[in-house]
Amino acid sequence: MKIVSIILLALGISFGANAQFKKASVHATGLTCAMCSKATYEALESLPFVEKIDTDLDNTTFILTFKTGAPVSIDAIKGKVEDAGFSVGKLVMTANFDAVSVQNDAHVAFAGSTLHFMDVKNQVLSGDKDITVIDKDFISSKQFKKFSTETTMPCYKTGMMGDCCKTEGAAASKRIYHVTI
Amino acid sequence: MAGNGIAAAQELYVNTEPASNMPANSLGIRLTNKFFNMKHSGDNGMRFEPEVMWGANKRLMLHVLGYASNMMQPSVKLEGGGVYAKYRFLSLDQQHAHFRMAAYVRGAVINNPYYPEMPDGSHAMRPYDNKELDLEGVTSGVNGGIIATQLLHKLALSTTLGYSRYMNNVKDEIPDDFSRSSVNYSLSAGYLVLPVKYKSFQQTNLNLYVELLGKTNTDAVGRGSYLDIAPAVQFIFNSTTRLDLSYRTQLTGDMARNTSNSFLIRVEHNIFNIKK
Repeated sequence: MKIVSIILLALGISFGANAQFKKASVHATGLTCAMCSKATYEALESLPFVEKIDTDLDNTTFILTFKTGAPVSIDAIKGKVEDAGFSVGKLVMTANFDAVSVQNDAHVAFAGSTLHFMDVKNQVLSGDKDITVIDKDFISSKQFKKFSTETTMPCYKTGMMGDCCKTEGAAASKRIYHVTI
Repeated sequence: MAGNGIAAAQELYVNTEPASNMPANSLGIRLTNKFFNMKHSGDNGMRFEPEVMWGANKRLMLHVLGYASNMMQPSVKLEGGGVYAKYRFLSLDQQHAHFRMAAYVRGAVINNPYYPEMPDGSHAMRPYDNKELDLEGVTSGVNGGIIATQLLHKLALSTTLGYSRYMNNVKDEIPDDFSRSSVNYSLSAGYLVLPVKYKSFQQTNLNLYVELLGKTNTDAVGRGSYLDIAPAVQFIFNSTTRLDLSYRTQLTGDMARNTSNSFLIRVEHNIFNIKK
């Protein structure tokens, strides 16, 4: 009986710690050498919200596992890769959703960030889902151009909240992450 | 995915710098030794170049160098020092390719005579016939230029074009029969041989390079050109420590040179993320 209550308590805690980013898969481009990968690894390791990093060196991909409850900055991940001298080719965030309703070209406040879903069907997200960041410098410039032509929203080009999507009471300069599923 | 296309080319050139920079917030320490035959005396010359490199930010890197050799006197002595700065202003990264461009400047302050001093105070045993000056220990001066590096699947190609203005050494003036300026140009290719598949940072890398290195003295006096070829082999241990071996010899040219072939050995160690 005691064990059951401990399990229930543990489950309760994990339920309580929902609605957060859990992992990120960062594909870095422009890397040419072991030193480059190592430098990128050590730069990503210095992020305060990263608990551990697994690597797929042959594909220059880093799997970041985030600390529970730590606020995650998507821009900071990109910043570290660029500081190491490279670019982000693809960034997939694994997030734990708690029945979050998602619509195309609509904003969702999530774990301290504002997400703008593009190219998605209306749906309700629950549990662990992968979302791909499609802002400028998070994907190849070719892909960015393709997405740019598919949206009429000017905020996509800047990554900042614009008049197109300004919500009540929010600052116009607020960072918006454009994502797709 | 990127796969081998990205991982298989190398641009950590031995005799030139790529347009890419070292990572921001990292420190590199290098010791380069060059060994060469000196035609005027038949002796072996050697030069030691300690170097500290710093990634100031993602676009700017800085080097400080020292020079010591026995080129102009019977024993090895400190000749002077130099600085090097490189700014990457263009970076187009793709899945299987990248193209980068950088601008660089180099400066050196050297205390050396322009003709070798022999042990008995006399001049060379054989005529000292040399019209080549360089900023790596021979003369003070400045050099600036542009670097472009293209990564194409398995091949990393890089080219440099620069201009040098030579200045008087600390105690000696450049003799009238030397060109006070030159143009330097290079074409470098790099290829990763090992590992075939990247699994861990502990795998030793083996890289092969071939570089073409040219220079033209542009003043009317001392005019002349040469083109050298420099094959090189490189090992990288633990993804942080690098060992370079290179042989450089003249392919063609009409510039008088006291030394036209040399060996290079270099050890470099990198410390990433110096400020946590």
